[in-house]
Amino acid sequence: MTDPIVLFAATTLGAVGAVSAYLAVRNRLSLRIALRNIVRARGRSVLVILGLLVATAIVSGSLVVGDTVHTATVHYSYIGWGYTDEAIYGTSSSGGYLYFSSIVANSVVTASANDSRIDGVSPEIVGTVQAFDNTTGIPQTNLYLVGSNASQSAALGPFTSVSGGNPGSPAPGSIFLDKLAAQDLSASVGDSVLLYGKFAAPEKVGAIVQDDIRGGFLTAGVSGGSVFVDLATAQALQGTPQEVNFIAVTNAGSQESGVGLSSAVSASLTAALATIPGTSALSVHQVLSDSLATAQSASTSLTTIFLVFGLFSIIAGAMLIIGIFTMIAEERKGEMGMLRAVGIQRRTLVLAYYFEGLVYSAGSALAGTFAGVAAGYILLWFYVHTVPTPGFDVNVLGASFTFSSSSLITSYLVGFLLTLATVVVASVRVSRLNIVRAIRDVPEPLPPLRTYTYLAYLGGVSLAVGALLFLTTFRGSSDISYPVIGGALVILGAGLVASRFWKNRTVFTSVGAGLLLWAGVEPLHDWVLGTGHSGGIFFVFVDGVMLVAGALMIVAFNGVDLARSVERLAAGRKGATPVTRIGLAYPSRRAARTSISLTIFALVLFTIILLAVYSATLTGNLNNSVTSQSGGYTFLGISSQPIPDLPSKVATNSTLSALYSGVVPVTTGLAFVSVQGFSANPYHDNLFSAPVNTTAETSFYATNQFTFQSTDHGMSASAVMAELQSNRSVAVVDGGYAGGSGFGQAGPHPSVAPGDMIEVENPGTLAAQNVTVIGVLEESIVGGVWLNPSTAASLGYLTLNGYFLTVHPGVSSTLAAQKIKSAFYQYGLVLVDFRAILAQTTAIISGDIGLLEVFIALGLAVGIAALGILALRAVTERRHEIGTLRATGLTRPMIIKAFLVEYSFITIVGALVGGLLGLLVVYNFTISPGSSAAYAATLFVPWWNLLAVILVTGLLATLAVIGPSLRAARLPPAEAIRGVE
Amino acid sequence: MPESVVVGEEVWKVYGQGETQVPALRGINVDIRRGEMVAVMGPSGCGKTTFLNCFSGLDDITRGKVTLEGTDIHAMSDRLKTEYRARRAGFVFQSYNLLTILTAAENVEMPLLASGVRAREARPRSVEMLRELGLGDRVNHRPSELSGGQQQRVALARALVCRPAIVWADEPTGNLDEEGSRQVTSLLRQLNRDFQQTMVVVTHDPDVAAACDRTLRMRDGRFVT
Repeated sequence: MTDPIVLFAATTLGAVGAVSAYLAVRNRLSLRIALRNIVRARGRSVLVILGLLVATAIVSGSLVVGDTVHTATVHYSYIGWGYTDEAIYGTSSSGGYLYFSSIVANSVVTASANDSRIDGVSPEIVGTVQAFDNTTGIPQTNLYLVGSNASQSAALGPFTSVSGGNPGSPAPGSIFLDKLAAQDLSASVGDSVLLYGKFAAPEKVGAIVQDDIRGGFLTAGVSGGSVFVDLATAQALQGTPQEVNFIAVTNAGSQESGVGLSSAVSASLTAALATIPGTSALSVHQVLSDSLATAQSASTSLTTIFLVFGLFSIIAGAMLIIGIFTMIAEERKGEMGMLRAVGIQRRTLVLAYYFEGLVYSAGSALAGTFAGVAAGYILLWFYVHTVPTPGFDVNVLGASFTFSSSSLITSYLVGFLLTLATVVVASVRVSRLNIVRAIRDVPEPLPPLRTYTYLAYLGGVSLAVGALLFLTTFRGSSDISYPVIGGALVILGAGLVASRFWKNRTVFTSVGAGLLLWAGVEPLHDWVLGTGHSGGIFFVFVDGVMLVAGALMIVAFNGVDLARSVERLAAGRKGATPVTRIGLAYPSRRAARTSISLTIFALVLFTIILLAVYSATLTGNLNNSVTSQSGGYTFLGISSQPIPDLPSKVATNSTLSALYSGVVPVTTGLAFVSVQGFSANPYHDNLFSAPVNTTAETSFYATNQFTFQSTDHGMSASAVMAELQSNRSVAVVDGGYAGGSGFGQAGPHPSVAPGDMIEVENPGTLAAQNVTVIGVLEESIVGGVWLNPSTAASLGYLTLNGYFLTVHPGVSSTLAAQKIKSAFYQYGLVLVDFRAILAQTTAIISGDIGLLEVFIALGLAVGIAALGILALRAVTERRHEIGTLRATGLTRPMIIKAFLVEYSFITIVGALVGGLLGLLVVYNFTISPGSSAAYAATLFVPWWNLLAVILVTGLLATLAVIGPSLRAARLPPAEAIRGVE
Repeated sequence: MPESVVVGEEVWKVYGQGETQVPALRGINVDIRRGEMVAVMGPSGCGKTTFLNCFSGLDDITRGKVTLEGTDIHAMSDRLKTEYRARRAGFVFQSYNLLTILTAAENVEMPLLASGVRAREARPRSVEMLRELGLGDRVNHRPSELSGGQQQRVALARALVCRPAIVWADEPTGNLDEEGSRQVTSLLRQLNRDFQQTMVVVTHDPDVAAACDRTLRMRDGRFVT
């Protein structure tokens, strides 16, 4: 019981249980009434529990998804690093591992020999290599090369062949391929393979090994295939005899327990390194524990996204709970009035209501917790079978399905407390019961003036808090949610104060309009708050709730006019008027209760439509994104060794010249970027520079189509490029520097704006220079800093191993990539296909959004359940009125139609409000200066999808209401009038 | 002699089944003529309300035959029965049974709309009816804004607005004070005389019975002389 969540849950539940038990013992009559109410209508009790469990299920489902993703990512951390807990390496100017003397490595081995916390230390070479399978004739670039000494690397665990045997370790002349590398080369054991590093070496495939522990070293199974060789072979391939570039350290114990020693072992190794000469560029990295921390962060992020979007459904669930208890209270009003009249104390009734709610809360939270687990499983099943997850084995995610006890307990506690809170509120309402009015079923009178006085005081508090929040946050770079909430509280507070003096309808229609304007008009935010604020997923929630609340206030306080307009439209048809009048009278004239159903539908449809439109907008803007991300080029090629004069080689090759229309070579390297105020200086980034020695190189500055998020003094893109070509003291940075997340970027990233000064250092030469940023690119797939060619050369960036390649129109990029990689595989040419990456990323984002939509659809289940339950309760509550209507001549079909009109009104208005506001939020995203113009240049509305959502919602709503409608119509009039069940 | 409007022949109504059977009406025979105002009196539980429900077509009978204006009401389908109620019957209940979400005028015009009268024609008729009953200034008030007597007059207006052939009233003064009771009784009598409508009034109130043309006394599901 050391887990704080478990402890808190146990304490809270214990306290509630103890207080309830005490109250039950002291008020046995209340307990008896409560139990009788539950038992006497078991069907209804089950229905109530089903209605109440949804909010808990959403919380539970979110946490289960987070748990499972955490398990899966942890699985990959363990696969990726195997038994390697720490790694010792330095970083070279090209971004790879720095080579150092084997003597240094052996000194580390010796220094660690007597440390009982360390099981093994293995000096290695880790790099990339190209391969050509002579047997199959297939080349493959960019394979991971891992060279290790068999005896020193024994602690890293044995290799396991794909057939399950132990193939030993790679000996000279023999290599092991992991499954992915073997698949890429179509290689089999015994194949002759030519490996190209700096030098070439013919090898035989000795074994094909599994992708775990040793076989999955570093990134295998996630990125590319791996080739395992003995250390001497690796040194020969890379031309680095007597050198290594990586030391893998294995802690004592299992994978799980060994990582616990990482901090202490790391400190010990750092101390040892300090005593060994020639190790100043090396450092100790706690690779496994860092990887596990990243996994934790990823799963937490996903859980947060699910929970934030789930919040809409949780609110919907809470509204349903309030609706259910309000109806139960209304339904029992007469009975409770009678009990009061015969001498039952008010306290007894309130407690009876509380006990009944307590049982429902406990039962529904339990059922909801497990329903959420089931929902999480179904969602993940859909995810692994429908969403593309490149490099991610779907079976891993499927097999990782798990839920922690703390998640279950948290879900139960949240669900229980949420339900209980509404029960307590409903109990307070019961406590205000007027006996005579209750017995005679007389409606509650309008609130007295003093109620509005209290509301005015509340409004004053809201005004003050809102103003304070707004004034302290409206300038600066805080989350935009805070000043926006502050503004909303001011509007609401002013409304509450005004309601003391003016009519509710005027006041709250104005408040609703104010909230809609404040939350919905994006330029208003920019004008009032400036553009410096950050915005995240929480703002989507805040904005959504305010918009929906504003719109529904307008609907609720103008519902009668809305209903009259609809009634007039139907007036021409015989028999339509009584149906529409009765059908619309309930939702338009019982605004409070209708608001519950409307809010549920509006919130859920808001979320679903927002996600659908956002997904469509991302996909629809793919072409814009490709141009801005690629600069108009098809590929960025990077070779491990420079390809001399690639433009001429391509132009003179008949195959390649038919495919490629242009090649622009660029200098690439690793840069240490220091930005003032950034905590993790220096930031390691790519460096690019286009030389101006040849026409092709020079033309880059005039012809590239890179677009900018922002430029210094609003310069045009061409002016920025011309300045970069001619001015030695300027730089251009990628979109990641705008503070956005970019593509695949993790961890802290420095933010800069045009006009800021940054320092760029070449870690290979240690030469550094301050440059002024004159433009922030849209591009963020590759990422990096662009320098003037002379500046780059003066810092020692001389390797011309990057190439922007353009294919002829209509040429298959896949074919073009295959041909150029085959032609230059010995140079280790790797291609970045901008369109493919963007398409894949968009597909993943759309897939993730789709998953989220399925999850949010649980909220739709809340809405449908709400309609069904509220309609069913309405039949019971309105028996008397239904009987009267039947007596006065309304036929059974008219009663059915009246119910359908009533709930269609709720569904349609809720869907319209939610849908339109969802569209508005995405539209705001497209025009927001804070969002990327490239990914959201144009709003794309998936009309057919939206129509499908609306139709399915309408169909399900009708199905939910048809049963209660039939039941209402079948009520025998005489019995209904008498109120007999 | 006016023609028969409500005729019952050996009408039985039995609740429950087998050993739990409770006969509420035991072979009722009755003949009520057009324009007659008849009171039905008897002790609680004698079957007065069951009589009203079964003879008005609100409830089914177990055996026998009920003829309203020459038509066997229980031989009709539910739809025809409902349409008959909309056009030819009016109901007044002890607890008024007004729809609390509708205004007085909207409550009154409901039977008109149900019988197919257009909304623009129904509204003036319902307002006129309310004026006739002294509620011209309460047309747009909700039931919760009216006194008990006013609510019962709205219920009367609703029952009479279609000029029904038969008005069925179940304890129309049961929830009213003496003054309210007197007003409603005299209204019923006046309307009966003015419009020659047949009225069947179930009541405990001897003053109401005294205002009627004749009184039928019930005991144990039978009329007694």
